[in-house]
Formats: sequence, structure tokens, C-alpha cells
Amino acid sequence: MKFSYKKIQPLLISGKNTFSKWLGYFGLGIGVLLLLVSMQMFFNIQQLLRENSPRKSGFDFISISKNITNENMGKDNSFTNEDLRKLKEQPQIVGISPLIANQFRVRATAGDIIPFSTDLFLESLDDNFIDTVPPSFTWQPGQTIVPIIFSSDFLEMYNVFAPAQGLPQLSPKTISSVNIILDCSGPGGIQYFKGNIVALSDRINSILVPKTFMNWSNMHFSGDTAVHASRVYIKTRDANDPQLISYLDQHDYHLNKDKIKFSRIKSILQNIVSSLGVFGILVIVLALMLFSFYLQLMIAKSKDNLRLLLTLGYSPKWLAKSVAKTWLPVYLFIIVGALIITEILHLFFLQISFVNNANLPPLLHWSVWLTAIFLLALTVFINSRLVKKELEHII
Amino acid sequence: MQIELRNLIPEYIETGDRRNSQIWSQNIIIKKGEHLHIVAPSGSGKTSLIQFIYGLRRDYTGAILYDNNEIRKLSTEGFSSFRQNKIGIIFQDLKLFEDQTARENIEIKRILNPYHTEEAIVEMAGRLGIKSKLDQKSKTCSYGEQQRIAIIRSLMQPFDFLLLDEPYSHLDEENRKKAMSLIYEECEKRGAAMVFADLKPLELLKGEKILQL
Repeated sequence: MKFSYKKIQPLLISGKNTFSKWLGYFGLGIGVLLLLVSMQMFFNIQQLLRENSPRKSGFDFISISKNITNENMGKDNSFTNEDLRKLKEQPQIVGISPLIANQFRVRATAGDIIPFSTDLFLESLDDNFIDTVPPSFTWQPGQTIVPIIFSSDFLEMYNVFAPAQGLPQLSPKTISSVNIILDCSGPGGIQYFKGNIVALSDRINSILVPKTFMNWSNMHFSGDTAVHASRVYIKTRDANDPQLISYLDQHDYHLNKDKIKFSRIKSILQNIVSSLGVFGILVIVLALMLFSFYLQLMIAKSKDNLRLLLTLGYSPKWLAKSVAKTWLPVYLFIIVGALIITEILHLFFLQISFVNNANLPPLLHWSVWLTAIFLLALTVFINSRLVKKELEHII
Repeated sequence: MQIELRNLIPEYIETGDRRNSQIWSQNIIIKKGEHLHIVAPSGSGKTSLIQFIYGLRRDYTGAILYDNNEIRKLSTEGFSSFRQNKIGIIFQDLKLFEDQTARENIEIKRILNPYHTEEAIVEMAGRLGIKSKLDQKSKTCSYGEQQRIAIIRSLMQPFDFLLLDEPYSHLDEENRKKAMSLIYEECEKRGAAMVFADLKPLELLKGEKILQL
């Protein structure tokens, strides 16, 4: 049938009871917007988490050390093999890695460009506990260049005091081009190495060198092969696990939680956003329900007219299709509108200062688009099914 | 197209009441171009028969066939195709959309499968004397006027059969003649059959096959 539906539309859609209709539209709009926005924010936060967080693949990495008190001051406060074994046995702890420090003297100078000289400490840690390990972070005996992973907090501190000392401030990019001369000395002799900062770490507050270099140099310069770990890194699913915290307290271990706070806040944010998304789905379901009540009521009201149209020869299939199609522009408007508002909110989000540096794309995540298309298809499908069912009742 | 009534008996009718019927329990074939006049007093089943044939009711035994197709087996979709292209009807109770104007009522049927142009509505309304009523809501028209609206509406589509259920009951002699001649003309154009149910044989009808219900 090619004729226009417009001529029979007044017979089917009464102008009355528009309140529930508009309430349905409004609810649907709010629900779709909530769902799309929370989805986009979820992806945004996830992306930020991936870029900035010390928390990776669902694990927290925290460092513990023994509490220094007046009683144990001056004693050896490093972790014994027994301590490490017991730590490993804890069910909340997935893995541990002791930070091994140098047992010889290290002096660092930065050459002629930066007139800087200081005593230094070096530490080493298992590679899989470090958040940024470039392929160049390796060392073999005989190699004069030692790759270094530098704490980004240290860089920040350096940049704070550098101007007062007449030293140049350094960006994360330029720091890799600074030549550091490492002057290692001990009973075993004296040797110069060229230090090269290959990466910055947000997670580890230390100056890290490859484990191979640390083992070799401790052996070579001080002849000491025993493990002296005053700090141990713990890999755990949840650093806030009450059992873990009580175990650490019992053993008088000090926990450095600074690094995990940010990631915690972000996972809380993510939970809030997810709940908003679930709430959005709920609102959509309620709005669709309200809308179907409106539809049922409308069809019930126009029952006589519909029956007469069928008697006159109108095809039930065509009628169902046409009635259902009436709302297609409304649904399209609601969902496209929600998409546009989501995009605007997303662009606003990108302007927020802490997000500014992140590499977030300006367009919405593809699954937000997909969800919008799915919602459109779903509303059209539910609508036409409902109309068809109601018409079948009449026939 | 042809319509066949095969041993048709309404479920509600007593055996005695259909003994002398020329329709109930009979085998009747109505062919395109034939004029069949069904005469019976009120309450004897004229409207039932028309509604059985049009497919609005199924409380009968026996069978009704459109072109050898048992209409009990027809889907609503199938019925709508017949009602758009092959079978027209004027209901006794008219079945108009009360809140629509006369023109809209006719147009709703016309657009379904236009046999006539929109201008033909005005022309026919002029012939039947309701031209001035075209833009008036049908519920504000008199019953006689409504009957004429229903007549014009039925003539807007192509058909092989036109079913008429007491279509002139509220028309005076003159308007009855006008309406009759319009219907005859339109049936002639299409070579269509007429099944005309009324209380008594009308003098206006000539050459019809008259059957008593």
C-alpha cells in the first residue's frame, strides 16, 4: 500500500493523555543520556587509569619497610629471608620483590653542563614490579653504560630545588639526554660508569638499575652477596584488604599507601559511573514501560476505529507498521540528542586540567555509538511488537 | 470472481425456520455481473448473511467460498486484500467514523485503492444531494445523509461484488432512485455483481434474481 498514513492518524492517536506520553519521552531521554554518558566516562577513566596509574591489571603494588623506632634504631632493619618467606605465604600477597640496595659508595656527577655532584643510592627490583620497563633496561658485565629508571617524584623534587642551586630544570624528555657519571667505589676498587635515564617510574620511589648490575657491582665492589632489603614491594589484589593490613601491623611493617590512593579514587569513580550506568538502564526500562502503557491505552481507546479500518479493508500488517513507525522520529530525536549531549559533555571532560595531558580521543568510544544504535533498534522493536500484539487482540 | 454459498446455515436458526428458505441449506453460486435480491422481513437473517459473506461473522455451518477458497481459512491479511480489490459493502449500521467529516470518511476508503479521483466524491455527493454536507462531521448529519455518505464510500474502490444491506431504509423515493441509479452505473462500469438485501422487493429493481430468505 502506497497511500499516506497521515489521513488515518487522527483516528488512532488521540490528543488526550499526553502527560504520560511526554513523561515517557522525558524518561527515555534521561535514561539514554545517563547510560551513554556513564559509558563514555567509564572508558575515559579506564583510559586515564591505564596511562597514569601504578595499579595495573587489577593489582596494587605497595612498598613496605620495617618501622624505625627508638628501640631498633641503629640495628639491622632489613628483611631477613625468613621475613620474606612468611610474607610470600600470605594469601593476600600475589608476589614480593625485595628492593636490593648498593653496598658500596656511589657518587653521581652530571658532567660539565650541569655542575652537580652528589652521593647516590641505587636499588634494583624484579622487572615485573616496575611500571615502565623499556627494552634497553638491561646490563651485562663489561657494559659501561648503566640504564637507570628514575622516580618521577624525584624529578619533581629536583625541579623544585634546582633553580635555587643554579641548576637547570629538566623535563621528562630532556632528562634522558643528561649524561650522568657514576663513580662506584669500595674495597673492590673504583670504576666509572655512564648512567643513562631510560624511563621514569610513577610507582617506585627510587633510582633503579638492572638487577644484573646490582648483583655484579655489590659482589665486585664490596664482596657482599647477602640480600639486604630494607624495602620490599608487594603485589596484591587489594592493598586495602583488612587481613593484609592487620598482618603488616602485627609485624610492625610500615606501608606506603600514597601511591595507591589515586588509583583507589579512580576505581571508586569508576564504580560510581558504573552504578550511574545501571541506574540509566533502569530509567530506560521504566520509561519504556510507561511508554508501552501509553501505547496500550491509546490502542484500547482507538479500538473501535481500528476495528472499522480493518473491516474497511486496511491491512493489519500495514496498520501495525504505520502505527509503530509514528514514534520512529521521536526515538531517533531522543537518541541522537542524547548522543550529541554526551559528545558535548565528553569534550568538556577533556578540558578538565587533570585530563588535559591524557591521550583521549575527542570522539565518543565506538561502543557508545553501538549502544545508541542498539537502543534505537530495541525501542523500535519493542514498540512494533507491542503494537502488533495489541492489534492481534482487536482482530 | 465468484462467491459460493455451500449448505449455509446460521448456528442460531431453528430447523423449522429455514424450511422454506431459498438460501439457507442451499448451494448458491453468485457470479460476477449477476444481480441478486434477497428479500426477507426484519430479524430473519439478512444482515447475518451479508456479514457471513463479508467475513465479519463465523457463527454458521456449511461453507462460503471466494473463488473456491474457503473463507474460514482466509487470514485477516487475505480478507483485507479481498476487501480492497474485490468486495465492496454498504452496512446496515453504516459504520462511519463519527468524528470525521463526510469527505474524510469517503477519503479513508478511497485512498486504500483509488478507483475514482477525489473530484468524483464531489460529483457523486452532488448527485445524491449531500454536496453541502461533505465538510460536516458525519455524526451531525441526518441518518439519510449518513446513508448516502456510506453509499458513496462503498463506490470508491474497485470491486467484483457489492454487498448492500438495506441501503435505502432512510431515503425518500426520489433519493432512493438517485442512489439506485448511481449504484447501478458503478456496478455496470466494473461489470460487478450486486447482492442486495432488503425487507421487500423494490419496484426500482428490474431483472434481478429474487431469493426469499
